[in-house]
Amino acid sequence: MNNASRANSITRRKLLKASAAGAALAAFPAPLIAQTKPFAGVTLHGASFQHRFFTLLQKYIPEFEEKTGMKIDLQLSALPVYNQQANLELSSGGSAYDFVNVTFTLATRWIAAGLLANLDEFTGDANLTPAEWNPKDFVDGAQVPYRDAKGATYGYSWEGGAMLMGLSRMDLMEKKGLKIPKTFAELQQVCAEINGTDGVSGMVSWFLHNWNLPPYIQGFGGNIFRNPPGDPMPTLNTPEAIQGVEFYAKLLKSAPTGVLTYTEDQARQAMLTGRANIFIHSSAWVTPILLSDESKVKETSRVVRSPAGPVHDYPASNSQGLGIPKNAKNQKAAWEFIKWALSPDISMRLVKEHGHSSICRRSIITSDEYRKLNTVNGQDLGALYLEVLELPGKGENYMAYRTSKEFPIVGDVLNKAFEQVATGQLPAKDAMNAAQDQAIAALRRAGTKL
Amino acid sequence: MNESSLRKATPGRLIAITVVLLILLSPFLWLLQMSFKTNDQILQFPPPLIFRPTLENYVALWHSAFSASFVNSLLSASLSTALALLFGVPAAYALSRWSGRGKHGLSFAILVTRMAPPIAFTIPFFLFYRWIGLLDTITGLVLVYTSFNLPLVIWMMQPFFDTIPVSLEEAALVDGARTRTVFTKIVLPMVTPGIAATAILCFLYAWNDFFFALILTRTNARTAPVAVVNFMNYEGWEWGKIAAGGSLVMAPVLIFSLAVRRYLVSGLTAGAVKG
Repeated sequence: MNNASRANSITRRKLLKASAAGAALAAFPAPLIAQTKPFAGVTLHGASFQHRFFTLLQKYIPEFEEKTGMKIDLQLSALPVYNQQANLELSSGGSAYDFVNVTFTLATRWIAAGLLANLDEFTGDANLTPAEWNPKDFVDGAQVPYRDAKGATYGYSWEGGAMLMGLSRMDLMEKKGLKIPKTFAELQQVCAEINGTDGVSGMVSWFLHNWNLPPYIQGFGGNIFRNPPGDPMPTLNTPEAIQGVEFYAKLLKSAPTGVLTYTEDQARQAMLTGRANIFIHSSAWVTPILLSDESKVKETSRVVRSPAGPVHDYPASNSQGLGIPKNAKNQKAAWEFIKWALSPDISMRLVKEHGHSSICRRSIITSDEYRKLNTVNGQDLGALYLEVLELPGKGENYMAYRTSKEFPIVGDVLNKAFEQVATGQLPAKDAMNAAQDQAIAALRRAGTKL
Repeated sequence: MNESSLRKATPGRLIAITVVLLILLSPFLWLLQMSFKTNDQILQFPPPLIFRPTLENYVALWHSAFSASFVNSLLSASLSTALALLFGVPAAYALSRWSGRGKHGLSFAILVTRMAPPIAFTIPFFLFYRWIGLLDTITGLVLVYTSFNLPLVIWMMQPFFDTIPVSLEEAALVDGARTRTVFTKIVLPMVTPGIAATAILCFLYAWNDFFFALILTRTNARTAPVAVVNFMNYEGWEWGKIAAGGSLVMAPVLIFSLAVRRYLVSGLTAGAVKG
């Protein structure tokens, strides 16, 4: 056989193979493609505020794109910018986004207004959600803001924040014979006794009083509203609320000068350098005293549960969720992305490869690997985090005030009133009586029926 | 009071001027020194006045999306200024030379659009832009800024044209010049200071705008002021980058103002602001 005839025979064989393959493809083209990459070619548009979670997730997104054939266009902005833009987009019925961050302070509003897709329709369909994805694995307390009154779910949480107490100078406390405070009264005593020792302030805080103050008001048995979210009548001038305001203002007397205008990172810096002994805030702000390379107080620090009030032990918590706008063009594709981004696999990789621990999947938080990575100086930070994050899901949802649509208005009034008290301009009773009237008037002006 | 007494630099005057300058410039100087510090140095208490300056904030900005936003700001501000002048200057001239009955009503109607707060127009613009696909585009921003600057140009420029004697134009027409030539060769050169002053104000409005850019842009057309806000992260504010971004945002305006300051002073004192 010469070269030419060999070439001809190969060509014939190739032709036969190609014809057979072509016939097979012609017979079963769509199902074959559909089974592999059903959303190939789709560009998903998503938006959120900037957060380490998304910065880390972006490293893995190429894998998702490779696997599904989709393209992810993720728009990240500052929190106020994102909230403004997403609010406008969703409330005007836009379809620019396929998935969005459901900011927890806006969640109730967006869900009540029907701006988000009911995710139960996705999790309830075995073809769309495999059993191992397990929606119930998300910490219940973190999921509370993303449910409507009937219990339907409109978002899955990707980040949790649990209020903890950081103590940076246990050495000073031990010298003075002081124990870790477990009650409001003990907290008051420790702050006052440490303040000024070695140039250390008793405690530090930051300027958003409508975040810091409510746990004290609730600790004394008060609340911001009568029965949120159903009854949004402000309750700022109850004896319990006044007591909470007085207590917190007194606490801040042992804080550095100018604490009323401190930002979160100024407060964290004061802790990292050991200039202030106590900071009570979300875990992400408090745990750096143990975990950050910048910390100068690693050896003398502890992170514990925040002290309980005489009536309630209601540490604040929050979570951020991912959801799908009602008018999104590619809802099923968006759900594919959410499933992947919040999957146990990605969650565990975030923990193991980047030490990102503020996730909301119980199975990961309780895993040995997570515990190993988040146990510092014998303290199981993960257990603390989980315990606090769980609380609003057990019994009373005491964080409901924070997600009420009336809170931004009342929160502003509360901020001003507290500043008047903390700066000594008005006694707590007078400031809170005035605040109550102002809050009611402001809500009525905004169209709230009280 | 004669001229020489006005010019005399007594110690008291020098001190007063220095104090006023310090008050006026201190926020800018504080911002500038912050831009050369690390985040840790910025958050130190008390703040260190002597420190080893670093360019890391500027380098980080250069490598971030801020640089694209800066270009977007330059494009939208300069294009809208050029467009507003292109349409507004002839309109002001026409209004100046027109003596019909509805002149005052028309002038007022033009100004009304400028009196309304931007929030009144934002939502209609947002919905309209989404409908026609101009959301998050430089074109969309340029159109908005032009529509807001046009009344300003007309109202700033009209008094300049009023001060030019009509007889001058009539003489040129008698000499055989065409109307367009009269406008471009005789009238326009006489109102150059006014155009410079107006251009600065238009540029400043577009350059400093935050609200329209916040609502009408996303990522492609995001402008520098919105990009600076994006350094206020959920997990902490990147103070160094905010300061560096703020300093950079101020730079073009300062350079532009310095370049045309001669016209700016004469323009603002000879035209509409003149009593």
